Amino acid sequence: MLTGRNIGVVLASLATMVSTLQAQANRVEVKLPLRQGSVRFAVIGDSGTGDKDQYEVAKEMEGYRAAVKYDFVIMLGDNIYGGHGPEDFTRKFELPYKPLLDAGVKFYASLGNHDDPNIERLYKPFNMNGERYYTFKKGDAQFFALDSNYMDAKQLTWVEQNLRSSNARWKICFFHHPLYNDGKSHGPDLDLRNQLSPLLKLYGVNSVFSGHEHAYERIKPQDGIYYFIQGDSGKLVHHDFRRRDVMETSFDKVCTFMLVEVNGDELFYQTVSRSGETVDSGKITRQREPARAAVGGR
Amino acid sequence: MRLYKRNSRSLIQLSVLLLGGYGLILAQKPPTAGTADAAIVAQFEAKVKQYLDFRQSTAGKPPKPSDKPADIVSRQREMANQIRVARAGAKQGEVFPSEIAQYFRKQIAASLSGPHGDQIRSSLRHAEPVKMELQINQSYPANQPLQSTPPTLLLNLPELPDGLEYRLMNRELVLRDTEVNLVVDCVPNALPESIQ
Repeated sequence: MLTGRNIGVVLASLATMVSTLQAQANRVEVKLPLRQGSVRFAVIGDSGTGDKDQYEVAKEMEGYRAAVKYDFVIMLGDNIYGGHGPEDFTRKFELPYKPLLDAGVKFYASLGNHDDPNIERLYKPFNMNGERYYTFKKGDAQFFALDSNYMDAKQLTWVEQNLRSSNARWKICFFHHPLYNDGKSHGPDLDLRNQLSPLLKLYGVNSVFSGHEHAYERIKPQDGIYYFIQGDSGKLVHHDFRRRDVMETSFDKVCTFMLVEVNGDELFYQTVSRSGETVDSGKITRQREPARAAVGGR
Repeated sequence: MRLYKRNSRSLIQLSVLLLGGYGLILAQKPPTAGTADAAIVAQFEAKVKQYLDFRQSTAGKPPKPSDKPADIVSRQREMANQIRVARAGAKQGEVFPSEIAQYFRKQIAASLSGPHGDQIRSSLRHAEPVKMELQINQSYPANQPLQSTPPTLLLNLPELPDGLEYRLMNRELVLRDTEVNLVVDCVPNALPESIQ
């Protein structure tokens, strides 16, 4: 006899089967578990070139959306390179991601050094609501989009107040300049790390996504926080990395994007190249306690 | 609760506060300022307010969020043009006359020689430094990146009201109107030559 619970299990199994069949039909290789009720999103950084690389990544994102059914994308800055006229927004955002936008996928932008904050924060499809930094919730996760170009006293206060008051199971920050990074082009922003990382640690941030460095890198957990650099969704620097102690893995051969699924105490990630190859994947288990007790000072 | 707030002398004073049994010892020692510095900062704040009042009366309200970038850009350009015309002939020193400019140089030098000086220098080197000709009362070029400003350096400067920000360009510290993307004024040679 089918009970309500059984029906739920059957429906979840059917949904997974359908997603798997769609993945096969689209020739995509999904490494995420696609659990019922999970939060699923894509991650792009340094995307807004309007070049072939961006369009190819966008096309691959479209293929994976059909299988993964993510319903939003976080943008790690440098969303629009160069000019910021209406034609630039069309060529560097609206056209490449048109299939996603048409499907109702929402984009949440953070600002990079090549972005024009005056225009982009007011551009509705970026969902910034006129602010340089903001927060939003999706299921068990709360996201904090920060402006790492200009981390002034006001923003630091906002970060602290909002992280402290959040009771979300997952706290995920995203901003342009990486706090840890082994790239030769830019490297980590040490002064930003100096001011920001104690807050991330103190208030139990679980994961941080940044761009700026034009490649992909996953950092070994720092103070219990998982850092990803995804700065090559439209612009790539080949052979950008020098391997150091903080690097877990990296990829700098072709442009990529990320897929992320958050469910319960687990976060699954998959990094996909513009040609559809999975270059990294894995799982993070949520840190049980914020690091408050471990922080006696800075 | 920890607050980042400029004290009455417009210097960052980070305090140790307690909440729920958790205490924080903050990295920065509160800078001290003499009466002369406080007077300079008050003078600067008055000039900033004067500029914002002028902008409000000259150019009106900034654009609202829109699906159409053309609407946002055209309103910002309209405002910028009104300000450019009304401030025609504006020169360096209107907001940062020499005494105020010298105060800013001193604050920046103190940040660079402070406990986080090395990190600030590192961040400056890695921030895609912008080198271009600077023109007061003109738009910041839309196709040029905005160099990020090290947070510790910002924390040692007088806090600005919404709509204005500090940016580094070459060795200059620029006061930028963020609503209309205009260079309001600058502090020449704000960064030491060794940074570049």
